[in-house]
Amino acid sequence: MDLSYTDEQNLLRDSLQRFVSSNYDINHRNKLTSTEEGFSRENWQQYADLGWLAMSFAEEDGGIGGTPVDTQVMMEEFGKGLIVEPFLASIVMAGTALSEAGSEAQKEALIPGLIDGSLIATVAIAEPDTHQEFERINMTATLKDGEYSLSGQKAVVLSAQSANQIIVAARTSGQDADHDGISFFIVAADSKGLSRKDFPTVDGLRASDLTFDSVKVPSDSLLGEAGKGYPLLTKIINRAILALSAEAVGAMEILYKDTIAYTKQREQFDHALSDFQVLKHRMTEMFVEYSLAKSLTLKATMLESQGSEETQRTIHALKYLIGKTSRFVAQNAVQLHGGMGMTEELRVAHYFKRLTVIDAMFGNTDYHLERFVG
Amino acid sequence: MDIEFSAEDLAFREDVSQFIKDNLPKGMDMWTKRGEWFKAMAEKGGWDVHKWPTEFGGPGFTPVQRYIFDQEMARNSTPPQIPFGVTMLAPILMNYGTKEQQDRFLPTIRDGSVNWCQGYSEPGAGSDLANLKTRAELTEDGKHYIVNGQKIWTTLAHIAHWMFCLVRTSSNGPKQEGITFLLIPMDDPGVEVKPIITLGGAHSVNEVYLTDVKVPVEDMIGEEGKGWTYAKGLLVHERTGLAGIQNSVLGLEKAKDNAGDVKIGAGTLLDVPAFRNKVGALEAELLALEFLELQTLAQVSAGSDPGPESSIMKLKGTEIQQRISELNIEAAGIYGTAWGESSGPGFARGAMGGYLGTRATTIYGGASEVQKDVIAKKVLDLG
Repeated sequence: MDLSYTDEQNLLRDSLQRFVSSNYDINHRNKLTSTEEGFSRENWQQYADLGWLAMSFAEEDGGIGGTPVDTQVMMEEFGKGLIVEPFLASIVMAGTALSEAGSEAQKEALIPGLIDGSLIATVAIAEPDTHQEFERINMTATLKDGEYSLSGQKAVVLSAQSANQIIVAARTSGQDADHDGISFFIVAADSKGLSRKDFPTVDGLRASDLTFDSVKVPSDSLLGEAGKGYPLLTKIINRAILALSAEAVGAMEILYKDTIAYTKQREQFDHALSDFQVLKHRMTEMFVEYSLAKSLTLKATMLESQGSEETQRTIHALKYLIGKTSRFVAQNAVQLHGGMGMTEELRVAHYFKRLTVIDAMFGNTDYHLERFVG
Repeated sequence: MDIEFSAEDLAFREDVSQFIKDNLPKGMDMWTKRGEWFKAMAEKGGWDVHKWPTEFGGPGFTPVQRYIFDQEMARNSTPPQIPFGVTMLAPILMNYGTKEQQDRFLPTIRDGSVNWCQGYSEPGAGSDLANLKTRAELTEDGKHYIVNGQKIWTTLAHIAHWMFCLVRTSSNGPKQEGITFLLIPMDDPGVEVKPIITLGGAHSVNEVYLTDVKVPVEDMIGEEGKGWTYAKGLLVHERTGLAGIQNSVLGLEKAKDNAGDVKIGAGTLLDVPAFRNKVGALEAELLALEFLELQTLAQVSAGSDPGPESSIMKLKGTEIQQRISELNIEAAGIYGTAWGESSGPGFARGAMGGYLGTRATTIYGGASEVQKDVIAKKVLDLG
């Protein structure tokens, strides 16, 4: 057993911290989120140049051959910096889909672009009736004359506005929540019949609702085996949850530390707020809960990367704990900052919003606790 | 003891309910025909100023009638009144203002032609309000105060014509004793208002900078140095209002409706035990809190002060508001994250705004931590 980060992972962390501390204060982020795309292509290119976009891809696919723990290190630092670039959609989600299920031709066509930053991709799973049941796929894919025709709707697709390629879960057989019959397709974002409604999410990022009206794709757009896409769907969501959990851990670290710093300098009733025992204990609880969430994030990441049988159950426990803890830490960070915590001027508000979004994504606390105990 | 309302009170409820049915503007008219609504309320016999005593043109409701009135209005989501003039300043003018001040300010407060804001909090005076530092110094001729300082979290200062303000006229003795209550016109060249954008992008609060603002002594309320006493009595009443109990009763019903429309498996979100239990817990606590409010009301009817019980209501009431807002985000599912216009259910768009906005409820009007201190000291005698 070895639970320490490797030298390479520590170097990776250092390089991310350097980038964030010299490029990514809250004003920079606010500027980015108010642009059309909501992020910086220039930053994205820099991530490519620094090798971060290549990290999780296999060496034979042109990547660096990193492990999910490397991704966890990166996401934690991205969480501290509250970065807005589409790493989750393009690298974690679409990257996982292609790496796990792509044919040689599909990998060759797309992975180099993802790695060098010239191509952005995303994955569309959820639909208007999903609520939180992601296996409920009703979009249809019908094979006719060597083409698939896709019809239906996808909801709240991350970064779709900037994506060149959209990897879509559709149903080639069965219905509603059946595990059998789910298939994935690679669809060019400018395909005929595909329309998009873009909107910002509360954290300043971008998502879209997509409508597929008989979108025709060649049969070699099928990603993986027809009708056998359920394990891939689970894999993509699990990787997304691991990445988001690491991001949440990073965001929570900023929040508990900012809260400590603020209460040390803010005086009321002739004392620093940090002198009041009730507030000391509150901040201690924030730290204790944060520590547990951080530990479980690493455990779940290691289990997933080793293909352990405990992976699924641990990921349910993780997303439950991340949701519960980030709500507690974020709410108390705002509360202890008082009125200042309610302003958009302080970064606390922005971390609060990001953590709120993370809790609502890929199943909230209730959903995952139910599956953990069930 | 009798848990039922009297026949007279029930008849009063019927009267209020019928009035609302007959006069409440529907749909978008709610916003465009506000004026007509308040006019009808005035014509009904001072219902537009329902907390005012009869000598000032109010209806002279008993505490129980006032409770019933508020409940019916909340239940029917009637147009809200900006509270600063009508419910916050007016009682202070009535109790401590001169006849001239009453005649000058009460009519325009009542007809809504003059907007007021409340200048209490300062950057260094939040939970510790008595720590306020804005200085008011008397000119040599004794005719004016010159005011310098900064107020913060001033709700609707950007549309206010006047601000009622706590300022420091003395730094000797206990902090509470050097505070004076002044009325400041917002168009004075020394008044500068800067917006504060809060979580969720809303602009309702502001910073107000006061530089050599010249206030005639006639615009002081009561005596110099007594401002804290005047303001404090009202803060107790403010707390009860901030609990928003009737709004929560209504809000919880809406949250249940929203969840009932969300299909999960063969049922709805309301059939999911974890969600249903949260709804149930809130309902149980609201039942208790509603009755506690009635008990407090009974005490007030019997002539005693609402006192520290109002802290229990503020503490629990605001916590409940926050928990209800969380239910709506959960009910919105994947659409809960959307901020712009998504294709999600109608309520999803407001859900996040509600969640972000209610974070302030446990901070303003005395943070929850302060309310606990009040209960510890005043009720439990814990020093």
